[in-house]
Amino acid sequence: MRATFRAAMLESWANRRSFWTQLAAMFVNDIAWVAFWVLFFEEVGEVRGWARADALMLLAVITTAAGFVLGVTGNVRRVASVIADGELDAALALPTPTLVHLLARRIEPVNIGDLVFGCLLFALAGDPTPARIAVFAFGVVTAVFVYGGFLLALGSLAFRTGRGEVGELGFHAVTMLASYPVDIFSGPTKFVLYTVVPSAFVSSVPVRLLDSFDPQWAALGAGAALLSATIGVVSFQTGLRRYTSGAAWTRA
Amino acid sequence: MTWSALARAATTAARRTLAQPGLAVVSVGFYLLVTAAVTSLWRSAAEAHGGEIAGYSGLALTWYIVASEATVVAQRVRLIEEVGTEIGSGAIEPELLRPVAAVGVRLATEIGAVLPRLVACLVAGAGYAALVAGAPIATGSIGLALPSIVLAVVCNIAAQHAVAAASFWVRDAKSAWYLYHKFVFIAGGMLIPLEVLPESFESVARLLPFSAMAYAPARLASGYFEPGLLIGQALWTAVMLVAAVAMFARGERRLTAAP
Repeated sequence: MRATFRAAMLESWANRRSFWTQLAAMFVNDIAWVAFWVLFFEEVGEVRGWARADALMLLAVITTAAGFVLGVTGNVRRVASVIADGELDAALALPTPTLVHLLARRIEPVNIGDLVFGCLLFALAGDPTPARIAVFAFGVVTAVFVYGGFLLALGSLAFRTGRGEVGELGFHAVTMLASYPVDIFSGPTKFVLYTVVPSAFVSSVPVRLLDSFDPQWAALGAGAALLSATIGVVSFQTGLRRYTSGAAWTRA
Repeated sequence: MTWSALARAATTAARRTLAQPGLAVVSVGFYLLVTAAVTSLWRSAAEAHGGEIAGYSGLALTWYIVASEATVVAQRVRLIEEVGTEIGSGAIEPELLRPVAAVGVRLATEIGAVLPRLVACLVAGAGYAALVAGAPIATGSIGLALPSIVLAVVCNIAAQHAVAAASFWVRDAKSAWYLYHKFVFIAGGMLIPLEVLPESFESVARLLPFSAMAYAPARLASGYFEPGLLIGQALWTAVMLVAAVAMFARGERRLTAAP
């Protein structure tokens, strides 16, 4: 496991110029989002209890969590295509657990940029006292498990369907919806964001905890993280039993 | 001969898009998600702001976002990177041997591939807007918005080819797609109407080509009857097409002149 992770790190670090270019590109991307929220709240003031500072914390949480999931366990977004293209064959022959190997095998520098940016944004705009740092870390950890588990579960659908479109759409859905405050939605849509597409737990719930820590919401966040991760792992493991070789000898 | 070849390239690309319904579903699904999220945000903002922001009501903002998102989401988001990679890797070289200009075929192919996705997104978006907000405010401006949306797409594709052509000279130019899209997002008015920007920023944004790629059709779709926007778009589209052709011609000369 450690060797796999080390190999993934060395691979992403091999072209250092490209590594830094990608990191910088993601920084520019995230700064544009900061500009959007600043301009938006400059004009609007406050929307359904959300102000500029909350929106910036939302951005800090989602970039840190998504940056970790997509950057450090980069293959989690590719699970469906790895399965559909028969690329799991190489991983099955290894003495390490297939899922662990798959997740540790790829590091995406562009998303590492997100991870670094999210932490920096919190440090600069999040009023980082020791208590707030702890709540931020807790929120990010729960968001990582919710987000990662959801992507893994959707990607594992490819074991049954042989196609990756649902996984791709699910990725866009949870990422896009988590980029906005959950309170701008109402009625059944809001319910969906706490259940079927759990984007509220990826960003809005951690921000609510940062705003005023509530043990009930914290427990709900932790429960969602546990449930999502469990569903992701179980979906992958049960799907793996159905997997038939793609007869392709590649690196997973 | 050349025009018929380009038309055939566009038609073939359109057919290829239509033959991949799975990708179209993802594309339209993603478009609806973005549109739902951004319109919800703006409608909530209008509601909190006395029903109107910078002259846009909740209904107008909904149709604004439906149009602005369709012009951008229907396209391949990493077009600059993909074209840049093909130039940088030399994969483009066989295209230079053909009797038709490589950039012409690429532009025609890309436009042909985008149009079916654009139509699907617009149909879905119009249905969504009518359902959650109501019918468009003015049918006259919607009539102008349709050609404006097509011009926006052509202008954007041409501009992306002009930027990607930098890969003939610079190795890492393909990463420019991130920066390019952020300009379209903010200075182009895709996420935020230009009237909402601070005055100085708004003045600069209106002078840039990015406003022809999202703001112009969105402004028309939101109910403002401003035919001048179409003229501005036509000019920027011509400039971007000439820029793309010129950049590729210079790049190809550099490639063939190299020892």
